[in-house]
Amino acid sequence: MQFLVHPPLWALLITVLILIGLVLYVGRLNLNLRHSKKVLEVEIGERRRAEENLMQNENHLRQIIATEPECVKLQTPEGILLEMNPAGLALMEAGQPDEIIGTSVYNIIAPEFRDDYRKLSTRVFAGESGVMEFQIISLKGRRRWMETHAVPLRDRCNKVIALLGITRDITARKHAEEGVRQHYRELAHASRVNTMGEMASGLAHELNQPLAAIANYSHGCLRRIRSGTGTVDDLTRAIEQVCNQADRAAEIIRSLRGFVNKADSPHQPQDIRDIVHEAILIVGPEARTHEVEINLKFMPDMPRFMGNAIQIEQVILNLIRNAVEAMSNMPPVLRRIDLRTSIEGNMAVVEVRDFGPGLPHETLARIFDPFFTTKMTGMGMGLPICRSIVEAHGGTLSAFHNEKGCGLTVRFTLRRAMEETLHE
Amino acid sequence: MNDPKVMKERQTVFVVDDDEAARESLRWLLESVGHHVNCPASAREFLESYDGSEPGCLVLDVRMPGMSGLELQNHLIERGWCLPVIVVTGHGDVPMAVRAMKAGAIDFLQKPYNDQTLLDRIQQALELCSQRRQNRSELALIRANHDHLTQREREVAERVVAGKANKVIAIELGLSPKTIEVYRANVMFKMQAHSLSELVQMWMRLHVEAGELS
Repeated sequence: MQFLVHPPLWALLITVLILIGLVLYVGRLNLNLRHSKKVLEVEIGERRRAEENLMQNENHLRQIIATEPECVKLQTPEGILLEMNPAGLALMEAGQPDEIIGTSVYNIIAPEFRDDYRKLSTRVFAGESGVMEFQIISLKGRRRWMETHAVPLRDRCNKVIALLGITRDITARKHAEEGVRQHYRELAHASRVNTMGEMASGLAHELNQPLAAIANYSHGCLRRIRSGTGTVDDLTRAIEQVCNQADRAAEIIRSLRGFVNKADSPHQPQDIRDIVHEAILIVGPEARTHEVEINLKFMPDMPRFMGNAIQIEQVILNLIRNAVEAMSNMPPVLRRIDLRTSIEGNMAVVEVRDFGPGLPHETLARIFDPFFTTKMTGMGMGLPICRSIVEAHGGTLSAFHNEKGCGLTVRFTLRRAMEETLHE
Repeated sequence: MNDPKVMKERQTVFVVDDDEAARESLRWLLESVGHHVNCPASAREFLESYDGSEPGCLVLDVRMPGMSGLELQNHLIERGWCLPVIVVTGHGDVPMAVRAMKAGAIDFLQKPYNDQTLLDRIQQALELCSQRRQNRSELALIRANHDHLTQREREVAERVVAGKANKVIAIELGLSPKTIEVYRANVMFKMQAHSLSELVQMWMRLHVEAGELS
């Protein structure tokens, strides 16, 4: 056990042991470091990939927006354009983005649509979305029809930061629609002229009434003046009547001229009551000739509807004439038409009810078909034209047998006049 | 109208038209020549207010709601009223004119008419009315006288009117010519006939009316 007590040997042994420990420790440390490095490398790789993905995604989105054929734009509440894609720039006929970006959208929108667009914008920044059709005047001065879908763009805190608008050029569609409208305007006009021709004798009678009255009053005045029997008061009253009757005749002429006028009356809010009265002025004589009584039941406070007065008058006139004709074989005391107005949701409703014999079901199913007619001299275009007029006004035209008693009801609806066409 | 003979009895021109301006203007025109005018607004209103006794004439619009002019004409005939009817229309079609005339209208005018034409026709209608009324009262007198004859007197009268001699009548009835003469005198007295030809005329009128009624 001599070496056990040999001091240098001990020291050597301890040193060796320490060295071995040190080597082991460093080795272990090295291992840990390597592992950490690997983990870090993986993490960095993932992050890079994520970043690449993100960049790619953004790139995709940019490309989509850039190549999107519709105009995509962002806009402030004041209407300042923040961004617009190339399609938008092309629509506005801007050569450079800075010709448009930073300027006001109201410079481009045609003046008559600016108020409506401002309302839309206000609602979008209040969190709603909406659709609107309007015209723009491009930077080169060309007018085009646009349809825009506007939605609020929100940040992370859900705050609306901009209006995102997707706008498409609907000029071609508008022109096509206008072509169709023009066509059917001409058809409707032809039908009105035709109706007038059929009603000529009744209308002549209607004009004859005031003319005959004027003649009677004037001759009565002359005779009194010649014989010196008329007092000034009497003669004045008679001449007032002459004036009234002249006005009455003028009113009929005005109404007829309006009815056969080719030019379209404007599309605007209309009072159904006025239109019904105009129609009665023209169709009344025919109803009287056939000893048909027309009862009018107007709903009080009836809202106005959006449309073309002459065309709706034409529909009402046609329906009344059909009803008069439907009752020609009934005893005169039973000949009666009820015309009623009411409201159903967003629609104004007009019903024309006759008390005639009605129609067989197979006939009723076909009355709106073009060229289908039950009349000896009919063309079969009256009701189809009425239907297209009503449908162009966003309504429907239908016919059904009365629930109680005999006869037929023809009913049509019209869209109520609204201030804007926004929806949720 | 200035002629007092025509104004024996006040005559009324009834104007039936659903159009207020038409009837009121006509009233103004007719009053300018001194007619008394009454303007019911409908055929029904006229029938409700008229009892058949008032003399005059009727100016009627054929086409009216409710009861038409033609229907009203039929009512007049049914009730045996002799009011002459002038039909006026705005759209005077031939069938309508024919129907109105067949229903007893004395005239058919188309609006717009000449005022003098209408006034002349109305004057004629009023004259026709007084004539018809005079006729009627004469006829009523004849009928009343006739009703007073006894059976035997009527038998004699019929034979007298047929132109038979007293002797022939006496043989036919198995009576003496003297008795026949008495009956004959009674008939002449009761019928207020001054001559045989007058009696024959009366008899004819009675028969014409009976024929018309049957």
